[in-house]
Amino acid sequence: MRRIEAGRAWILTLVGLLLPHPALAQSPTAREIIDRVDRLLRGESSRARVEMQITTEHWSRTLEMRVWSLGVDYSLVRLTAPPREAGTATLKARQEVWNYLPRVDRTIKVPASLMMGSWMGSHFTNDDLVKESRIVDDYEFVMSYDGRREGVSVWEFVMTPKPDAPVVWGRIEEQIRQSDLMPVWVRYYDEDGDLVRTLTFDDYKTMGGRLVPAIMLVVPADKPEESTRLVYHDLEFDVPLDPDFFSLRNLRAQGG
Amino acid sequence: MAEDHLWWRVAWRNLGRNRGRTLITTSALAFGYLSAVVMVGLTDGMSAELVENGTRLLIGQAQVHASDYLPERSMYRTIGGQNGVDVADLLERLEAHPDVRAAAPRLYGGGLVSGGEHTEAALLLGIAPGRERHVTTLLGHVTEGRAPASGSREVMIGVEMARQLGVGVGDELVLVAPAADGSMGNDLFALVGIFDTGTPGIDASYAVLALDELQRLMAMDPGRIHEVALTVSRPVDTPAIAEALGAYLGSDPPTEVRPWTALRPELAESVALMDSMNFIIVLIIFAMAVFGVANTMIIGTFERTREFAVVRALGSSTGNVARTVVYEGIVLGALALVAGVAMTWPILVWWHRAPPDLSALVGGFSWSGAQWRPVLRVEYSLEGPVLSALALFLTAVLAALYPAWKAARIPPADALAGR
Repeated sequence: MRRIEAGRAWILTLVGLLLPHPALAQSPTAREIIDRVDRLLRGESSRARVEMQITTEHWSRTLEMRVWSLGVDYSLVRLTAPPREAGTATLKARQEVWNYLPRVDRTIKVPASLMMGSWMGSHFTNDDLVKESRIVDDYEFVMSYDGRREGVSVWEFVMTPKPDAPVVWGRIEEQIRQSDLMPVWVRYYDEDGDLVRTLTFDDYKTMGGRLVPAIMLVVPADKPEESTRLVYHDLEFDVPLDPDFFSLRNLRAQGG
Repeated sequence: MAEDHLWWRVAWRNLGRNRGRTLITTSALAFGYLSAVVMVGLTDGMSAELVENGTRLLIGQAQVHASDYLPERSMYRTIGGQNGVDVADLLERLEAHPDVRAAAPRLYGGGLVSGGEHTEAALLLGIAPGRERHVTTLLGHVTEGRAPASGSREVMIGVEMARQLGVGVGDELVLVAPAADGSMGNDLFALVGIFDTGTPGIDASYAVLALDELQRLMAMDPGRIHEVALTVSRPVDTPAIAEALGAYLGSDPPTEVRPWTALRPELAESVALMDSMNFIIVLIIFAMAVFGVANTMIIGTFERTREFAVVRALGSSTGNVARTVVYEGIVLGALALVAGVAMTWPILVWWHRAPPDLSALVGGFSWSGAQWRPVLRVEYSLEGPVLSALALFLTAVLAALYPAWKAARIPPADALAGR
């Protein structure tokens, strides 16, 4: 129920962050900063090669995949490894998520009741792929810290959902570097104020012409020894893609 | 003692003097006994029906799990952990226990069932069909087609899920389940059967396939099972039996045996509620009897005011006068008991053997998550009749206390003088 915003961040990161950021006006408000980071992490379209390293109590595995995205409505993920699962694909088109299973050559729409289920055994949910609520629309912001942490100038924000916002988190905390607007970490809390998971960003580098965090790590609070780590190998922005690319027909197509 | 014997005789004779009244009072008590025992038997019957229906359909009367399986039901926590267990040996050990009637192994998986255009979330249940039949009635509810067989890609789903998916027997379904190695197990299965248990939650969410097939889908070894469902010799005593079984199985592998009272606490609460209803019913019936009997006995002593006065005048103590009235109550109670038991027992046995089936009048219904048959079933233990007998006896004695007290207080001179 609570992986939505990380999903947003994931997609956004998948999508990539795009516009070189204009220098911030002096004394920006919390809302302005978050909004800018939000937009920064949203590209019109993107294409990426990603490695997903999943570690659980019972097994570890690495998935390799190609990812395409268009705006906030469309994304397509196709596994390229391990070989046994290569070709398995997930399509997100607006509010729907579809899986393609090459073994049985079928596409399956993920039912609403399973949207909170794990995506491919990772610590992301199907819902993470879908939910695209803009953080600036659904949350109230308070800047809780403005200064240096470990020698780096950062802002920290506390976001609490607006009364009727369709979100699942009770509170989100985020740290952002002042120098380049790169997110450092995001912490997600439930309605009881308990930490549910932590998202950590790392390996900031220029990919596709933009500075992005190339590594993203999700750690569930109740199982700190488990994690899902995303590593971006290639990332291109503003690639020519149109909505037809994100069709069920293309989901089944092996090429991608 | 000889004197005591005399007062018993007086009591007996007094009862014989107005036989009509004695007969009526005795009958009232005997019928009270009959209704109490039958009412208790009926609620016991409902309890038994509740327990059997609530457990026989799916959960069984007791379940064996890995000790860390509940309440999270993590798919990894199979009996014996990652290495699994010698399933055949475990079942053999369980069935060797005198209180275990049958045992059936199971594996669960949370997944998807997809057919045609639609996909539904489902609870995948892997069973050993041959054994499952002896533990639950699930396979008896197959209304179309047949149960899935071991070693073939066959599945059966509930009537509600079939409706939601828009599929029928013979169609092909895709089953998807997270596997133990982290992958997404998926395969094509033939829909060979549709079941209709009458319990919407089960009919909409369960997809049943052979244990070995689910193990393969979930990338699990044949030794890995989540549960062994049991039928025990005496369902009412399941908690004690489960405890004994826990000790019997020992700690290799670490297991936990849960009785249905723990698996379905709401069911246990319903049964407890009915037991307390029993108590109230018996209380009401005998409270009514107390006043009825007391009434006739008060009249009886009132009629004999002069007689008691004479007895008193002849030198009997007040205690002896009171005693004879109480003895009357005791004798009355004993008579009523004999009559009540003679009347009740055949009715109870007959009712138990041939419970009236009201199916023609009302349909089956679902209560407390269990499907009910519209059958007025009567169950009896020794407890109900014995307790009722005790209550009847107490009633008779209690009802005699007030008249006895009244009789003892009759002033001889005034009474004889007609004042």
